[in-house]
Parts: sequence; structure tokens; C-alpha cells
Amino acid sequence: MDAQGHERFREFVENRSSALLKTAVLLSGGDRHAAEDLLQSALIKAAGRWQRIDEPEAYVRQILYRQQVSRWRLKWRRRELTVAEPPEGTGGTATADASSAVDLRIVMRGALARLTARQRTVLVLRYFEDLPEADVARILGCSVGTVRSTTHRSLAKLRALAPELAALAPADAEQSPSRDFSPVEVRP
Amino acid sequence: MNMDQLVRDALHEQAADTMTTPPDFAGRVLAVRRRRRTRTIAGAAVATAVAVAVGVAVPMLDGGKDEPRLASEINRSDIIAHPDQSPPRDLIAAGNTALAAYSTYSTVKETEDRGVSRRTYYLLDQETGKYVKTTKWSILDVAPGMRTAAVLEKKLPTKRIGLLDLLTGEVVRWIPVDRGVAGVKFSPDGSKLVATTYSKNPDLRFKADYDSDGDGKKNDWTTQFGESDRTGFYVIDVDSGKGSWSKVTVHDDEDMPGSSLNVRQDFDFSHDGKLVYSGLTSEPHMQYYDFEGKEVAAPANEKYLHWSVDAGLSPDGKLAAGDFAGGAKTTASEINDPYTGKRLHKIPGQQLLAWVDNKRLIAFDIAPGTNEFHNRLVLVTIGSDKTVPLSGFRKGNDGAAGRWEPIFAER
Repeated sequence: MDAQGHERFREFVENRSSALLKTAVLLSGGDRHAAEDLLQSALIKAAGRWQRIDEPEAYVRQILYRQQVSRWRLKWRRRELTVAEPPEGTGGTATADASSAVDLRIVMRGALARLTARQRTVLVLRYFEDLPEADVARILGCSVGTVRSTTHRSLAKLRALAPELAALAPADAEQSPSRDFSPVEVRP
Repeated sequence: MNMDQLVRDALHEQAADTMTTPPDFAGRVLAVRRRRRTRTIAGAAVATAVAVAVGVAVPMLDGGKDEPRLASEINRSDIIAHPDQSPPRDLIAAGNTALAAYSTYSTVKETEDRGVSRRTYYLLDQETGKYVKTTKWSILDVAPGMRTAAVLEKKLPTKRIGLLDLLTGEVVRWIPVDRGVAGVKFSPDGSKLVATTYSKNPDLRFKADYDSDGDGKKNDWTTQFGESDRTGFYVIDVDSGKGSWSKVTVHDDEDMPGSSLNVRQDFDFSHDGKLVYSGLTSEPHMQYYDFEGKEVAAPANEKYLHWSVDAGLSPDGKLAAGDFAGGAKTTASEINDPYTGKRLHKIPGQQLLAWVDNKRLIAFDIAPGTNEFHNRLVLVTIGSDKTVPLSGFRKGNDGAAGRWEPIFAER
């Protein structure tokens, strides 16, 4: 990277890193430190190809998602997961009070933090980025069927993790079959 | 409210929290970037490239006394350096550790959308002391003593493991196996092999349907993301050729077991050779197994190791090679207490590759102020700022054709 490239890179990071960090935090289940690591390693990769990238933000986002589901990260020190609520808080006495939308969202956050990285990433792409299944599959490099089944199982796991969510109406994805059954040709 | 809506609301609410990156995040990113080299390429090449050298007895397949002596034995100088050579042509060594081989790799197209990542090895010819190119083997590991290499033929997975005599260049014995193997590693004392079994070739590459390197062309190769065809491992006694196979399932993601593995994720031995381990792409990063394939806890002095730091434990097991600890313009690495993970020393070097003895290591390092990829083999010593260059600087960026990856062994 030449001096001009450095300058442009710094400018990009200054302007966009906070927005990218939000996505990284969601992908990391609320772990701020893990999110910084994730973003840092995505930006490192982008820096290596800086001169050849047309749309840095789209590029960095794609790396964030893929990295989160597939890679070991540069920093690996074991650390405790920091979430807004202790995991235990999703059960027990909270059940009675969890009727309000705010409480439910807090419970949901706790449960999201306890999904696997792959499960959480699929949910972030589907429900935060609002991407269709086909786009999620393309970004993660897997089949639409895998996206569908992962979404289905992730939602089921959220319910299992937080009993307060049991009363909620099922999501659309929960009503579809858990595997991708492609249409079968029926012969007369 | 249904689940869809609540997930959506919870995510948006979390994203709405004010978040800013630390001051000069760009500077931090650029600083850390300096230390990276091949690690970015899926980690797989790194995992297979370097054998940890340890101070143990030399195993002999057949210990005849009249045999010609090995080039690595004849050249017993403490340091044999060729700072003018990159890639190396003549034996490089320090103390008991020598550069036994190095490899380069490239993706060879097989069909329109499928290819295979092929390594070309340059193995030390123990008669001449020179590195000789060979394209016969898909993967290999050199035994301590540098007399023998375990080799796998090109078509992977394969059902036999060759034991190559580095003095004659001939395969002296084939060990047949029932299940296809695609990775092989010697135990620290050279008496055993761990061979990783796969149902498909882990070196397959596929045409990426997106522009992976950002050069504007959709012409990049990629691995099957998050999918593992690894099935387990054999532990084989080298002398008798006998061994047992253990099935290994990784318990990570119920939807896609094995998604925390690189497509090639070979097993290797623990420092004491009593267990095998697999690297993982997510926490806890290492999983250990006994020889029957049962998951076991990491040995007390390996709890803080990471499979991507090739040097691992010192020969006496009292120090652990750690991560990069340099700054924006400097390189340094840490040496840690293996039992606590606490840093004991900071030494020169960008990446620690192999221990020479309990005080010295071979590392990659850059010339101050140069490109992070422009690095060479150096000897570093705990308690000293001085480095001794062992090879010339590697050229090309991460993943460039012709970039060589070292394989060390005890000489």
C-alpha cells in the first residue's frame, strides 16, 4: 500500500469502523472484545488488497460474515463471554416478568449470545440485514437448504435456551421443513 | 409478536447501542497486519508445513554402522546459514534443528470449476546437503534425525504411507492402511505416525463464485467453506507398521459438524507424544485425543499453546512459544509460561517456527521498516536483541507462487 492508499484506508476506517463494529458485535453475540478482533482481522485482510477493492465496505462485510463462520481468529486468548445479562438470567424468576417487550428483547439478546457463531451469523444476515435466503447462501458459501435448516434450528435453539420465548408465535422459518426438500417431479 | 419480529428487534436494539472503535483503530490494524504471513490462507498450509523439532533420540529404520553419513551429521557447526539464498539451496541449520525441507504450492486446475492445491517439496538430499525439488509427494513429514520422511503419493486420500530414505531418495517401505489418509506426522521421538483420514481430498479447491482477492476478476479458488470430510486418525507404529484407526467427530455445530475445522486439519502429536490433537478454527482452538480417539483435556503445559504457532513447547517443556508481541514498526514475539500463559520474555522475531534448544529459536523476521511478507529465517535467543540471519528474504506476498514454507526437523 502506498502513502495515498494508507491515507484512504485510514479515512475509510475512521468513517466506517463504528458502523462495521455494530455488525461485528451482533455477530459476536455482544462480546465487544471479540467483535473488535473480528473487525480488526477483516480490516487487515482488506488492507492487503486495498488498491484493488472497489467497494471496501461491502468487501469488509463479506469478510466479517465468512470469517465468523469459518475461521480461527488472530487473537485466540480464551476469554469469558461478556453479555448484557448472565445466561442464568434467562430462566427462573425472570419468567414471570418477561412479559414486556423490553424484557423479551433482553432475554432474546442473552439467548442469541449462546448460539454458535454460524447460527448467529445466519440470523444476523436474515433478520438484521434482511437478506433473502439465496443471498445469505451466496455470502456464506453454502446451499439455500443449509441456510433454511440453520435458521430453523437456530430459532428452535433460541426457544430451548429461553423458556420465556415459548409463548411467541412461530416465525415463518419455523413453519417450513427443517431440510430443503426440492420439488419432486410427479409423473402422471 | 412472533419470533421473527423479536429476533429482528433484539438485533436492531443491540446495534443501536452507541459503539465506537478505539482511537486510531486504523493504526492498530496496520500495525497488526505487519505480522501476518501465510496464516491468512485458511491456516491449512501452516498446519502442515512445519514440524516441531524436539531434542530426542534419533530413530533408525535400520541402524547399520557402515552406512554413509548424513550431510546433516557431517556439517555439525552450530550455525549453518545461507543469508544469500532464498529459496535455500544448501543445508540450513542451528544447533540440533535443521531446515529439513521446504515447500511451495499452487492450485492446479482439474476441471472448469475444480482444482487441487499442490505442494512442490524441496527435500534435503542427505548425500549432497542440497535441497532437491520433488513433485512426487502430496504431503510429507521428516522424522527426527532427518534420515527418513513419511510421504503420501499425489492422489489423495491414499491407502499407503511411504517411508522415504533421504540418503538414497528411495521409498524403503510402504505401510498399507484400510482407510484413505491425506495427512501424516511423526511423533516427537519418530517411533509413531499419526495419519489423518479423510473421505475426500482436503486439498481440493473450487472456483469461487465471487471475487475473493478483490482484483475485479472472478477467477479465484476457494475451499468448501466450513465443510469437513475428515473422518479420524490412525496411530501407527513405524517399525511394525501396525496401528489402529479412531473415528473422530467434532462437537461444534449441530447443523454442520466439523464446521470449526479447516478443510485440511491434520492431527499431530502432543509434546510428549502421548496424545494427538487437532487444531480448531474457534475456541478452544485445540482438542486433544488419546490414541483411541477419546477426547481428553489438554496436558497442563499445553493449555496455552495455539496450533498456529509452530514452535510450541521448548525441548524441556518449560517454555511456550507465543504470539506476535511487536508494535507498529517493530517485530517481537513472546515466550510464555506454559502452565499459566503469562509472558516471561519478549524476544525478536515476527513468527516463532522451531526451538533450537531451550534458549534459542528459529523465527521468521523482517528487515526493520520493510514489507511484512518480506521475511527471512533468523536465529533468535532469549535475553538477547541480536538475531542471526539464516536464509535470504522471501519474496512475493502472502500466497504468491514460489513462496517457500519451511519444514524443520531435529538433525
